[in-house]
Amino acid sequence: MASNDSKERAYRKLESSSLLQQTMFRYMLEAQAASEEGKLAWVTSGFPVEIPLAMGLGVSYPEQYTAVVGSQKVGPEVCGFAEDLGYSQELCSYARAGIGSTDRPDDSPLGGLPEPQVLLACNNICGTVLRWYEAVSELTGAPVFLLDTPPVQRRQPSHHKEYVRAGLEELIDFLGEEFDTSLEEEKLQEVASNSTKAIDLWTKSLEACKHKPSPLNCADRFLAMAPVVSMRGKKHILEYYESLLDEVEGRVQQGIGAIRNERVRLLWDNIPPWFSIYKFFNGLAKRGVVFPADTYTHAWTGSLEGEGILNRMVDIYSNVYLNRGLRAKVDKMTGLIEEYDLDGFVMFSVRSCKRYSLGQLVSKDLVTERTGVPGVVIEGDMVDSRLFNEAQIQTRIDALIEMIE
Amino acid sequence: MREKVGIGIDVGSTTTKGVIINSNGQIVASSIRSTGASANDAAESVLDEIEESYGEAIDQSVVSTGYGRKLISIADREVTEITCHSLGVHHIFPDVQLAIDVGGQDSKAIRVGSEGRPTDFELNDKCSAGTGRFLEVMARVLDVPIEGLGPLALQSQNPCSISSTCTVFAESEVISQISSGKSPQDIAAGIHQSMAGKIASMSRRVGIVAPVVATGGVALNPAFVDYLGKSLGEDISVPQEAQFTGALGAALLSIQ
Ligand code: SF4
Repeated sequence: MASNDSKERAYRKLESSSLLQQTMFRYMLEAQAASEEGKLAWVTSGFPVEIPLAMGLGVSYPEQYTAVVGSQKVGPEVCGFAEDLGYSQELCSYARAGIGSTDRPDDSPLGGLPEPQVLLACNNICGTVLRWYEAVSELTGAPVFLLDTPPVQRRQPSHHKEYVRAGLEELIDFLGEEFDTSLEEEKLQEVASNSTKAIDLWTKSLEACKHKPSPLNCADRFLAMAPVVSMRGKKHILEYYESLLDEVEGRVQQGIGAIRNERVRLLWDNIPPWFSIYKFFNGLAKRGVVFPADTYTHAWTGSLEGEGILNRMVDIYSNVYLNRGLRAKVDKMTGLIEEYDLDGFVMFSVRSCKRYSLGQLVSKDLVTERTGVPGVVIEGDMVDSRLFNEAQIQTRIDALIEMIE
Repeated sequence: MREKVGIGIDVGSTTTKGVIINSNGQIVASSIRSTGASANDAAESVLDEIEESYGEAIDQSVVSTGYGRKLISIADREVTEITCHSLGVHHIFPDVQLAIDVGGQDSKAIRVGSEGRPTDFELNDKCSAGTGRFLEVMARVLDVPIEGLGPLALQSQNPCSISSTCTVFAESEVISQISSGKSPQDIAAGIHQSMAGKIASMSRRVGIVAPVVATGGVALNPAFVDYLGKSLGEDISVPQEAQFTGALGAALLSIQ
C-alpha cells in the first residue's frame, strides 16, 4: 500500500510508475524498430501526431529526449556538443541538446534518438523548432516538413483555419509521397479515438488534484505526461492512464496526498528544471509545499473524436497554449489558481525558452491583481544546469512561502 | 527576572551582522564583521561580540537570515532576508511602503505590508550589477578608496553617461571615459547614476510607493541615495541602523 513507504520521505511514490517505465521502454523499442524499417518521424511536442501514426509511421520526440538529457544531468556536456558546432549558448537548450546529441550520439544518453527518415515540425510552440530541425536535417539528411500555425490573438479568423487545414492536407501528401502510402479514414478515426481517450483519462487525473490534499505533485505530473505527449493515439497507453487514474482516485478517496503534510498549495508555470526535478519539488515537499497544478501538463486537452477530425485538429493544435497571446496565459493561470484553490504561484523564467518565458513579469502582476495571491519569478533553465543558481532560487521561494504563511 | 531579549544574525555575502534587542525592540548590542570564507565562524564571533557587549551570555533562540542563514549552526530558526528586512525597516519606519536594500553582492526591493510583512519583492539576478560590488570595481578603476567614491561624485555638476549596468561592460566604459579626459568627479557621478537607475528599475517592478527607505551598506553612500531619489522621484530615508535592519528583523522574530 502506498502509505507503507519509507517514513522519512515527505512525498509518496506512485505505484503506477513501474507501468510508466514499461510504457516508455516500449516507446523506445518501437521507435528503434520504425527507424530500422525506414519509417521513423521526429516530431515536435505539439505536432498533430495522429496523422503520421495513422499513416503507419513510428515517432520520436526530441524534446522528450532532451528532457532525459537534462534529467541525467549531462545537459551542459550535450548542449556543449552543439556549442562546439558554433551554436550560441542563448539558443534553446532543448535545441542545443537535440543538435548536440544528433551530432555525437555515441557520447549522449541512450546513444541518441534512433535515426529519423523525416522531421515534422509545427511552430505552434515556437519558431526555433524549424531552425533546430533544419540543423538536424543537415546532419541526418532527413527532410523537414513545417506545419505553419499562425499565432492566435483573440479568435482565430476563418482564413487562418483554412490555411492550417491546407497545411494538414499537404502533410498527408508529403508523407504519402515519402513513404508511398495513404491516409485511411478508418485508421485516423481509430487513432483519434485513442488520443481522445488518453487525454480524457489524463485530464481526470489532473482534475483530481483539486482535492485537498492533492493526490499528485508537480514532478509526478511531469513524468506521467510522457506517454500522452509521445504516444497519443496508441491504444496501449490507455492501460497506463487507467491505472494512474485508479491510483489517483484511490488516494482521493482515502485522503492520501502526494506529499505527507500539505500546507501550501502553489501553481507552477513553465517547463521544470529537469536536472533537479526530484530534488527541487521533493525538497519543497518536506516543507509542506505541494504543486497541485501547472501550466505545462495542462496543455494536452481537447477531443478529436467525431466527424471532421482534420478540422478538430486545426482547432486544437493551432490553439495550444504557447500559440496564443499573453491574455490567454493570464486567464489560464488565474483559472487554475481559482479552481485548484492555490495560495500562490512560482513562475520559472527559462533562460533559453523565450517563447514560454517572455511576458512573465507582466503576467505575474496581472495574475496577482486578479487572484489576490502572491507569486515569484525564479530564473534558470530546463536542461542547462549552468544557468541555475540553487541558493538564489531557494531564497525567492522561501520568501514567497513566508509571505503566504 | 532576566529580561527577555531577541537575537538576530544576518549572514550577508560580504558582512555578517548581529544584534540583541530588548523587549521594547531597541537594539542594545550590535556587531558587524566581514563574513570571510566561513559563514559559521563569522556568525559565532559576531554572537560572542554582541553577548560580550550586552554583558552576559544569553540562551535565547537565535534567528538567522541572509544568504548564509542555512550555513550556521548556532541558529534555531532561519528566515529569508526578504522577510527580515521588511520587518526590520517597518520597525524603524512604521509607515514604510518600499524598502530598498543594497548590499555587497545583492540588492532587493521589497513592498512592505501593514504588519511589516513583505507583500512583493524583487532581487537582483546573478550578476553583480546594482550591488556594492559594482561600486567597488569602479572605485578600483578610478583609483580611489571605496569610501571616497560617493563624496567624489557629489562634487560633480555634470555626470558622465555610463550606459551599461553590467559591471564588466561598465568597467570598460569608465576606462574609456578616463582616457577621453573626463574628470573623476563626473565619472564617479555617472557610476552612481547608472547604479541608481538599475536599482530604480528593479524597484519599479514592485511599485514605487512612498515612504521609501534605503538600507544596506550602500545606503550609507550619500551620492547613491541622492541619485536613487532622483531616479525614483521620491525622497529616501536612511535609518541609522542601515546595515542592521536584516538582523533587527531576525531579532524581532526571535523575541516573538
Ligand atoms: S524555445 Fe521553448 S518552445 Fe521552443 S523548442 Fe525550445 S523549449 Fe520548446
